[in-house]
Amino acid sequence: MSAVLSSLTRRNRLTIVAVAALALYALFFASSYDQRILTLAGIYVIMVLGYQFIFGHAGALSLAQGAFFGVGAYVTGILASQYGTGFLLTFPLSIAGASMLALIVAVPVLRLASHYFALATLALSQLLLLIAVNWVSVTGGANGLPGVPPITIGDWQATRGTSLLLFVWGIAVAAMLVARWQLNPLRVAVFTVMRDAPLAVPAFGIDPGLLRLRAFVLSAAFGGAAGALFVHTNRVVSPETLGFGIMITCLTMTVVGGRFGILGAVIGALLLTHLPEWFRGLDEYYLVAVGVLLLAMVVFAPDGLASFFKQRRIPASPPGHAATGIEENATSVKTGVRVLEISNLSKRYGGIQALDRVDLSINAGEIVGLIGPNGAGKTTLANIITGIARADSGSIGSAGFDLTTATPTAIARRGIARTFQTPQLPDGLTVHEAVATAAANIGNTANKASSISARATTAIATCGLTRIADARCGTLPHGLRRRVEIARALAGAPHILVLDEPAAGLAPPEQAEIAEILRTLAASGLAVLVIDHNIEFLRPLATRLACLDAGRLIADGPLDEVLADDTVQNAYFGLVQQ
Amino acid sequence: MLGAQLALNAVALGAAYALVAIGFVLVLNATTAVNFAHGESVVAGGFAAVALAMLVPAGSAIPGIILLPGVLVLTALLGLAIAALAYLPIRNRPPVSVFVTTIAFGIIVTNGLNAAFGAAPRTAPALLGTGTIEFLGVTASRQSLAIIATAALLIGALAFVLQRTQLGRQFRACAQDPEMARALGIRLTRITLLAFALGTAFAGAAGLLLAHQFFVTPSDGAGLILKAYIAVVIGGWGSLRGAALGAMLIAFFEVGVASVSSQPLAEGLLYVAVLLVLLVRPDGIFGEPQRLRA
Repeated sequence: MSAVLSSLTRRNRLTIVAVAALALYALFFASSYDQRILTLAGIYVIMVLGYQFIFGHAGALSLAQGAFFGVGAYVTGILASQYGTGFLLTFPLSIAGASMLALIVAVPVLRLASHYFALATLALSQLLLLIAVNWVSVTGGANGLPGVPPITIGDWQATRGTSLLLFVWGIAVAAMLVARWQLNPLRVAVFTVMRDAPLAVPAFGIDPGLLRLRAFVLSAAFGGAAGALFVHTNRVVSPETLGFGIMITCLTMTVVGGRFGILGAVIGALLLTHLPEWFRGLDEYYLVAVGVLLLAMVVFAPDGLASFFKQRRIPASPPGHAATGIEENATSVKTGVRVLEISNLSKRYGGIQALDRVDLSINAGEIVGLIGPNGAGKTTLANIITGIARADSGSIGSAGFDLTTATPTAIARRGIARTFQTPQLPDGLTVHEAVATAAANIGNTANKASSISARATTAIATCGLTRIADARCGTLPHGLRRRVEIARALAGAPHILVLDEPAAGLAPPEQAEIAEILRTLAASGLAVLVIDHNIEFLRPLATRLACLDAGRLIADGPLDEVLADDTVQNAYFGLVQQ
Repeated sequence: MLGAQLALNAVALGAAYALVAIGFVLVLNATTAVNFAHGESVVAGGFAAVALAMLVPAGSAIPGIILLPGVLVLTALLGLAIAALAYLPIRNRPPVSVFVTTIAFGIIVTNGLNAAFGAAPRTAPALLGTGTIEFLGVTASRQSLAIIATAALLIGALAFVLQRTQLGRQFRACAQDPEMARALGIRLTRITLLAFALGTAFAGAAGLLLAHQFFVTPSDGAGLILKAYIAVVIGGWGSLRGAALGAMLIAFFEVGVASVSSQPLAEGLLYVAVLLVLLVRPDGIFGEPQRLRA
């Protein structure tokens, strides 16, 4: 026993003590009224756990969580009170109903950003409330429907009191397990990248739209489950379940407890359900106090009370982290094989011909430098190769696949990785976490957490970052951030690496370090396309040089030849050889 | 002439909505902040009128129009409070933070009013008496005409300030490019406070105008912010003229649909319409001007 205890972390021991104390109080000391409050808290735990997906992890202010709660409530309320349907059917249907609604509205709503998303979800809530109040024949109108039976499974019945309390918290624990399974540390890290550096997510093969959809539907499913339990507790379903009040309660609990993590949900739900008891003296001004609390939390403690405890993080050096699991790395491609074929590519922005019938190919093991004056179309080309922009005409192929119209996500999964002119790194993640997010989704078989971590460790070592693997990205100087971006690009085991001005703003020693890394990578078979202005950086590095001018490829060949070319001299250096 | 009467009602409703939407855009332009407490500001204006009317000795029915300065001052103070407590302390955080703090402010206002006045609908005095007047063969409600006149007066005064005064120029400069405006020596915080005061006072005035015919309840805020927002999305994000136009369209839609069916259906269809609009144009009908700097 003591051996087991001592093997636990201090935090785990604290958690066990707190849970045991709470359970003792709930089962043996709480009055039936107290138990009712605790039951309500359990219901809200489920709702808040759901809300954390969309509001916390996806970072979108949804005002529809109350609507999903209400849909779950009405599905159960109508079926159970009017048709006598049993819990084993109504409960899954409540969850399914809320999830279906989320799927349907996701089409117009999920693409929306920022306030558009918030207001669209508010419109949805108001719409459902109007329906509930006015469709009297089905919903019972403003008075709702009484006569919802208690939860009944076979002969067993959860009437008020201890049995209901235990049942609700049982479901809450199940919800915690689902949330924990859905939010492994790696996915949490991917969500963080999506919030802090949205451009980077598709570039390493993860579809941000799908990620948001998953968060939205999960939040709805949890909300629906909570709503169903709520009507079994209240024994009546009324428009109150769809009202803004429940949404506000959920938002406040999430902000007060914390946007992330089970602990945050539990703290928020327990606190906000008990506050009315503790502040009885405030009477009807209690809700004013809730507003003040919400406001004060956002201003003074935006990460919630749970942030005062430590979070789960991905360890930088997992046990047995030998660099295996990278067998499908670029090394498997033979040097000299053509890996990227761009032909006749054109792109027009308004009146500007950004790219004009560009042909360019890259072989494995080659480092191609792409130069050209400002506005020549270099970044446009990189954006089209990686799918961020789409060509007007022409084609891009890689390893037998046509990537001309593929999405950034699909292109990244075909092994084309990129870095950005301005590094797109999430400040709050460690180097290892940031790199691991890109190792997660390369569509191979070995996608276990340990192999992902090993792949990240290898990529970090390749870029000489092992010593700072645990440092937060936000604390790193510019030169190191660029190397972290390269490591992240490598973690997806690409065949082709596109770098947009990797040397810009770096001191010569830092440039030399990056050049050295790129040479090593090319030697192992990776095809590298480097966009840069800096000839001194490219001269010892590039095996081939291509030059763009006003959207046209004016030279492509061995470095010395291209640099000596008159047209290049004229376009790039602005002088004609005498 | 039922059609003409309906049209007059719609214009009156649209004029009040226009004040709300214009107030919303004033804050938006000066700060890029979306103020979710704006609907509650309208409600607060309505209750300010109810409260001020109660100060007058019972029996002496006063015209609502003389309450207007009081309502404007009180809601302007409310706007300053929103700016000082819910916007300025977190102006550099992600926009979602400001959404949540202004929602929190809305909760405070709604529930404060609920505690003080109760949840039942209240009504404010008519602006210039009730009843109708005959005009060119059309029977027009005095209240509708008074709403249109009051709103026109306020919007006219605002247009004058924005177009003809140095303060207005500073306002417009901040709306176009806050960083540049700041670099030129315009005190951004002062403009921010002014925008919140002015924007919220416009919402408050609308509250006074709406609170006679349509009553006012503490929980009206969500519906009102949605309408202001829809008006702004229809009219083009950040455009004052567009906001007023969008507000008129909403009012005509509401009055039109309600005249052949019911008010809840009109409101419901409006929300369906906004979801459909966002489906087709995720950045609003005229698109949002990009303020991102790479």
